[in-house]
Amino acid sequence: MTGSTAFWYASRATGIVALLLLTAVLVLGLLITRQGRLPGLPRFAVTGLHRNLSLLAVAFIAVHVLAAVLDSYVSIPLASAVVPFASGYERLWLGLGAIAFDLMLAMIVTSLVRGRLNRALWRAVHLLAYLSWPVALAHSMGSSRDLQHGPMLDVSVACLVIVAAAVIWRLAGAARQVPRAGRVADVMARHDAATRYGRAREGSWR
Amino acid sequence: MTTMAEPAAGGAARQAAGLPRLLPTAPGQDLRAHLARHGPVPYRGGAGLLIPDVRAAGLTGRGGAAFPTHRKLAIVAAARGRKVVVGNGAESEPASRKDAVLLRDAPHLVLDGLQLAAEAAGAAEAVLYLHRGEHRALLRALAERHAAGVDRLPVAVAEAPPRFLAGQETALVSRIGGGPALPTFGLPRVSQRGVAGAPTCVQNVETLAHLALIARYGPRWFRAAGTAAEPGTMLTTTYEAAADGETRCLVAEAPIGTPLADLLPGLAGAQALLVGGFHGTWLPAHRAAALTLDNETLGRHGAALGAGVLAALPDDRCGLTEAARVTWYLAAESAGQCGPCLNGLPRIAAAMAELAGPRPRGNTRRDAERWAGLVTGRGACHHPDGTARFVRSALVTFGPELSRHSRGQCSARGRRPFLPLPDGVPTTDDDWM
Repeated sequence: MTGSTAFWYASRATGIVALLLLTAVLVLGLLITRQGRLPGLPRFAVTGLHRNLSLLAVAFIAVHVLAAVLDSYVSIPLASAVVPFASGYERLWLGLGAIAFDLMLAMIVTSLVRGRLNRALWRAVHLLAYLSWPVALAHSMGSSRDLQHGPMLDVSVACLVIVAAAVIWRLAGAARQVPRAGRVADVMARHDAATRYGRAREGSWR
Repeated sequence: MTTMAEPAAGGAARQAAGLPRLLPTAPGQDLRAHLARHGPVPYRGGAGLLIPDVRAAGLTGRGGAAFPTHRKLAIVAAARGRKVVVGNGAESEPASRKDAVLLRDAPHLVLDGLQLAAEAAGAAEAVLYLHRGEHRALLRALAERHAAGVDRLPVAVAEAPPRFLAGQETALVSRIGGGPALPTFGLPRVSQRGVAGAPTCVQNVETLAHLALIARYGPRWFRAAGTAAEPGTMLTTTYEAAADGETRCLVAEAPIGTPLADLLPGLAGAQALLVGGFHGTWLPAHRAAALTLDNETLGRHGAALGAGVLAALPDDRCGLTEAARVTWYLAAESAGQCGPCLNGLPRIAAAMAELAGPRPRGNTRRDAERWAGLVTGRGACHHPDGTARFVRSALVTFGPELSRHSRGQCSARGRRPFLPLPDGVPTTDDDWM
C-alpha cells in the first residue's frame, strides 16, 4: 500500500463505518419514546448510547473528509465538506455528503445547547435526522462504486431495511399511544383500583 | 359532612401576644379598615432594599417547601431583564384551606406583600394565581386598591384548575404562560426562566402576607413569635372529629413551636395524626401528642409541616381505608408524564385498596412498600416521593390494623370518610387548563 492509496482506503473505511454508526444512531433515536425501551437496557442508557454514537460518527466523518481531501489522486477542496456542491469531482454526490453533514452539525449544536433552547425548536431541528440519513446514504451509494454491488451493497440494503422497520415501529407506536390525559385513567382501570376499592369498602366486611 | 369553623380570633392571651397577625380580628375588612390597622404600604423605593429585613426575619415559604424567602427574592433581583413575581394562592392540597381563608379574610395583606415582593425583586409584572371561584373577592379588592392608588404595579389574575399538582411551581409557570398546569422538569429553575422565559419569583400567598408585616413592623417583631430556627407564626388547617361524629375543619394561626396538643384538643383521644397533608406523614397519636409545630422537632420523626395540614384521625375510623382513599386520589391526580409515577402509583393504590379490605394477600404489604421505594425520586416533580412517604408512614402507623385485617377484622365502627377528597379526576387535557 503506497502513501496515496492509504488515504483512499482510510476515506472509504471511515465512510462505511460512519454510515453504520449513523444507522445505529437513527434507529436508537427512533426507539427513544415514552413507552419504548430496549430489552435489558434502562431508558437513560438508550439515550446515552444514542448521544455517544452520534459523536463517534462525527469523529469518523471528520477522518473520512480529511482523508478524502488529503488524497492527492483527486482534488477535493476542504470547503466542500460543509459547502454543498463546491467540489469539481463528483459534484452531486459530494454535495449530498456536505448537506447531510451540515444537517448533523445543526442537530449536534442544538443538542449541546438544548437547555437554553425551547423544546419545540430543538425538536424541529432534530427531525432533520429523517432528511440527513437518507441524504447520507445517497451520498455513500452514489459516490462509491463499491457500495453498488457485492457484499457492500448488502450492507447498505440491510441498513435501509433496518431503518424502515424502525420507522414503521415508531409510527405504529404513535398510533397506539393513549393521549396524556387518558393515560392515568387507562392504567388505573387496568389495576382496577377504583372498583376494588369500592368493593372493599361497602359490604364485604359484613 | 365537613364543617368549616370560623378562624379563632378571640382569646385575650392571644391578642396580648399580638395574635392573630395575619387574619383580621373582625370579619369583612375593606381597604380602609386594612390600612387603619396596618398603615400604608411601606414601599422601600428600590429593588433589593427589603431583602435584608426578610433575611433577618428568617421568613420561609409557607407553601410547603419552607425555602428561605430572601434567597428566592435575591436570585430574581440579581437577574437581568424583565422579571415576574407570582403570588401562589392555588393551594392544591384538598385538605388545606388556609390560603382560601387568608385570601377571603385578609386579601389586602396578600396584595401588599405581592407589591412589596415585586419591588424587592425588581419585577415589572405581578400575577396572582388562584382557583376558580376565589376570583371575585380578589378582583373587588384589586379594584379598591386601584381606585385608591395603592398599587404601583397592576396585578394580573391567572386561573388554576382544581388539580392536585396545579400549585406546583413549574405547573404554575406553564399555566400562566397559557399552557396546561402540568409540572415540567426542574431545570432551568423558575427563578432563572419562568413565566414567558422571564426570571420568576413564586411565593405562596401566606408568605406574601408575612412579608407585608415584616416590611411594616421589622424582623425583630417577626421573631417575637416562633422558635429561633423557625421564626414567626403560620396558618394551619386542622381536622378533628366533633362530638357528633362530624369532621370539624379549622383554620388557625399559631406560633411555630406550639405544642400540637394545644392545636388539636382531642389529639390524645385520637388514633393517628396526619402531618403535612396528602404528601405528608402519619404518626401515632400518642407520639404526636408530645411534639411541637416545627420542622426541627417533626423532622426527627420523619414528618414535615408542609402547608400546615394536621388531621387527627378518630378512633372509630379505619386508617387503612383513609390511606387507601387518599392514595387512589393521588394516583388519579398523577400528571401521567413520568413512567414511575404513571405506572407505579395506580399499582400502589390497588395494593392499598386491598390492604384496606378483609384478608389481603400475604405479600401485598411488602409489594406496596417495595413499589413505594421504586417510585421515590423518579419524577419530574415530587408527586411520587410525597405519595410514597404517605403510603409508607400509613403502613407503619396502621400496622396493628393491618394485622387485624389479615384476620378478617376491622376496628372501624363507622364507615364515614374522614379526610376531604374532591370528586372528579382528570380525564381530558382540558381538565388541566
